[in-house]
Amino acid sequence: MSSAFLYTLVGLGLFALGLYALIVHAHLLRKILAINVMGSGVFLVLVALAKRTGEVRPDPVPHAMVITGIVVAISATALALILMLKLTAKTGHARLPDDQRESR
Amino acid sequence: MVSVVTNIPWGIILILLPSAAAIACFLWPRIANELGLVTAFTIVLSTTGLGWQIMENGAYHHTVGGWGAPLGIELYADGLSLLMLAASALVGSGISTYSASYFEQEHLERFWPLWLLLQTALNALFLSADIFNLYVTLELMGLAAVALAALTNNSDALSGSMRYLLATLLGSLSYLLGVALLYHSFGTVDISTLAERVDSSPTVWASLGLMTAGLALKTALFPLHFWLPPAHASAPAPVSALLSSLVVKASFYILLRLWINIFAPLGEGVDTLLGLLGATAVIWGSLQALRQTRLKLLVAYSTVAQIGYLFLAFPLAVATNVTAWSATTYLVLSHALAKAAMFLAAGNLLLFSSHDRIADLDRVVQRIPLTMAAFALAGVSIIGLPPSGGFIGKWLLLEAALSQGRWDVAVILLLGSLLAAGYVFKVLGHAFTQAPLPLKPTVIPASMEWSALLLAFAAILLGLLASPILSLVDIGHITGHSEVRP
Amino acid sequence: METITLLAWAFDSLLGLGLLWLAWQSLASPDLFKAIVLFFAFGLLMALAWVRLEAPDIALAEVAIGAGLTSALLLAVLAKLRATEINDDTTEPLENVEQTFRSFQWFPTVILLLVVAGLSYTVLSLPPYATGLSAEINTNIENSGVRNPATAVLLNFRAYDTLLEMLVLLIALLGVWSLNGAVLQSKTAPGLVLDTLSRLLAPMLILVAAYLLWVGAHASGGAFQAGSILGAAGVLLLLAGWRLRPALTALPLRLMLVAGPAAFIAMAVFTMMIEGQLLEYPKQYAGILILFLEIAATLSIGTTLVALFLGGRPSNNFPSNDFPSKDEEHK
Repeated sequence: MSSAFLYTLVGLGLFALGLYALIVHAHLLRKILAINVMGSGVFLVLVALAKRTGEVRPDPVPHAMVITGIVVAISATALALILMLKLTAKTGHARLPDDQRESR
Repeated sequence: MVSVVTNIPWGIILILLPSAAAIACFLWPRIANELGLVTAFTIVLSTTGLGWQIMENGAYHHTVGGWGAPLGIELYADGLSLLMLAASALVGSGISTYSASYFEQEHLERFWPLWLLLQTALNALFLSADIFNLYVTLELMGLAAVALAALTNNSDALSGSMRYLLATLLGSLSYLLGVALLYHSFGTVDISTLAERVDSSPTVWASLGLMTAGLALKTALFPLHFWLPPAHASAPAPVSALLSSLVVKASFYILLRLWINIFAPLGEGVDTLLGLLGATAVIWGSLQALRQTRLKLLVAYSTVAQIGYLFLAFPLAVATNVTAWSATTYLVLSHALAKAAMFLAAGNLLLFSSHDRIADLDRVVQRIPLTMAAFALAGVSIIGLPPSGGFIGKWLLLEAALSQGRWDVAVILLLGSLLAAGYVFKVLGHAFTQAPLPLKPTVIPASMEWSALLLAFAAILLGLLASPILSLVDIGHITGHSEVRP
Repeated sequence: METITLLAWAFDSLLGLGLLWLAWQSLASPDLFKAIVLFFAFGLLMALAWVRLEAPDIALAEVAIGAGLTSALLLAVLAKLRATEINDDTTEPLENVEQTFRSFQWFPTVILLLVVAGLSYTVLSLPPYATGLSAEINTNIENSGVRNPATAVLLNFRAYDTLLEMLVLLIALLGVWSLNGAVLQSKTAPGLVLDTLSRLLAPMLILVAAYLLWVGAHASGGAFQAGSILGAAGVLLLLAGWRLRPALTALPLRLMLVAGPAAFIAMAVFTMMIEGQLLEYPKQYAGILILFLEIAATLSIGTTLVALFLGGRPSNNFPSNDFPSKDEEHK
């Protein structure tokens, strides 16, 4: 197995790990970390598979896509973190209220 | 004169104008209101111009940067994109007019840049023909929508938008992983090139699953709808309207586009699942809507139900069956108009009575008749009564179902309409009766009543304009199957 | 065929396992502070992975943004969170960990394992050699105005994506500002070390940013990396207690924040008028036009990242009366 496929599999692993943590954890900071880990996983898949060019330089298009993706990720993370702070300041808890409330 | 109109790059204006206006509103908050309104109506004008071009010359193409696919990005607009742009422009102008009177100055200054950027995202999304570019527009739209949903900063809105943010980010990542797999299988992110190269390989199956799941989450298809009712019910009224009528439709549009162009030949089995989930959404969403005691939650659950209808068409071979396809388009359009009208009317009711308990509406029909008329007309379209746009959509869907002997779909359609009638009349009934606690009414500005009413009228009018709109749907219908279509 | 030496293979495997292990440790850590530190380490390992994948441009962006700024933001938020959360921070995380480990959730685990297995099979079914768009890039890069392929894609071939991306950053900022009141800035004076360090480091970082911006045309680097380094310099100055004059936080600050998106939109209009195609540069001027866009984007990215780190509208947070100047803090 070439290193391209090795890192692709690691990327898929990170995606799944992040998704598991996103589902299981209640604390919003952990959920935000989990989303970031998932994102890193997707980026790794994008870039690792671009290395299937043999000896020559890897395909740069996914590289540019990932740079775009990293900027999007920090934007989303910053918004999520401040939203979480604001919510915690109002409710005293850094987690989402129970789903029961939505149909009250 | 005509050549001037056809030569102006209307499609580009649709993207650059609202983004430039957003920046101007950010720099000079004092003129935000005027600038925002002017922009909203210029968007209507530009969409009309683009529509003219498309009707004259066929589908619109623009190679950004002059490189062309697969290296560069292409913009593309056919009849379907045009109708989505038109719905977005029309609903957008209504929401803009409403918002100009709804928010106080402090909120207006925050609202306009975000709403203009959301309009940029919507227009860019409907014009894009590149799956990675669509990812960027999705993120643009998602973050703007979340920021708008949190605008009032109260705890319900904050928790609603936090949940919404996590859901929308998860949906985007799932979609992006699908994009990664498609790019690395076929070396392109251009939709029409992908359509030529796509085959039945494991990667295509995986990306079909990932992208469909991600977009279904963003569109709030049952059971992935958990985030929608709290977010849409707790946002300010014009924001609820734009979330329910435009934002969920945009992700659905991408799903539809991908299915029509790329996944159509492979979707067997998955389309049955989507149809099944759609049917469940119709019944479950309607039942939940009936149970609600709060007006805005009722309207939000009605959105969950109406989204279900959009997916009912998938097992009827949405890409190859013209009737099923037109039905979906019609349902998207009429729901966009009707649901915007309904949320704006609900906003008026909430403002008028300073609460949104359905049981305590207290004779509002006599006091703000225009708003109640808007609610009732929107209800007519949501239920699917003639002559509304909702009726045409459901009728076409029924026709497509019966032509394939799908009586189960027909039953769901009928049941959904009955339940919708139930929750619409529940509200209307209380609007006539006297509440135990008489309320102290607040004056509603006329522009807020009229923008709701005009949108509701548009939803009805959609039913009377069926034949020109259906002919638009077919412009540049690049299904890849259009040639073999009977 | 690519020959993989045993050493490289072992290194890649270790790095891959390290990434997975650090991610798991970070997400399952009972202490949130520890989780963030582990996340920072995870980011650094990611940068190493990007280097191994011959993506130095991403490695630079990852170190500055993915690991550096994200972790700094996380820590600042955590400090604020501990002050506002009702449950004190010792019980809350423990409760979480119990939830995670005692009631290990089988259902999502099984589903996710199936998904990973399916996706892995899918990925392994891809052909081992593929060039993607490399050939098209190689034939067209002559005409792009720059020689670094990643920069060529970001600012020419797919510059429209970058235009929209600048708007994404702006939206995040608008969103954060509309949630006003959550100021992350601590009022405490910095220690001598931090102060001296920032005086030394900040100008260096600004120089590095300028270098990366310039070099991005033909080697690794570019607007995003330069912008994020600039952002890091700004964050460092903030941590050291530096403040912008209130007069500068109104329009001048806003102008800096929108410089990137505004430059892209202006360029879009300009190219529509000259060439009739969105963002199609006149060929002989492509290089200089791209440099102009990159300078504006760098400025914007840097300022926006600092503003996001600050977490609130500066004009609201520092009313001119109790605005602490640098000298007063040292008295």
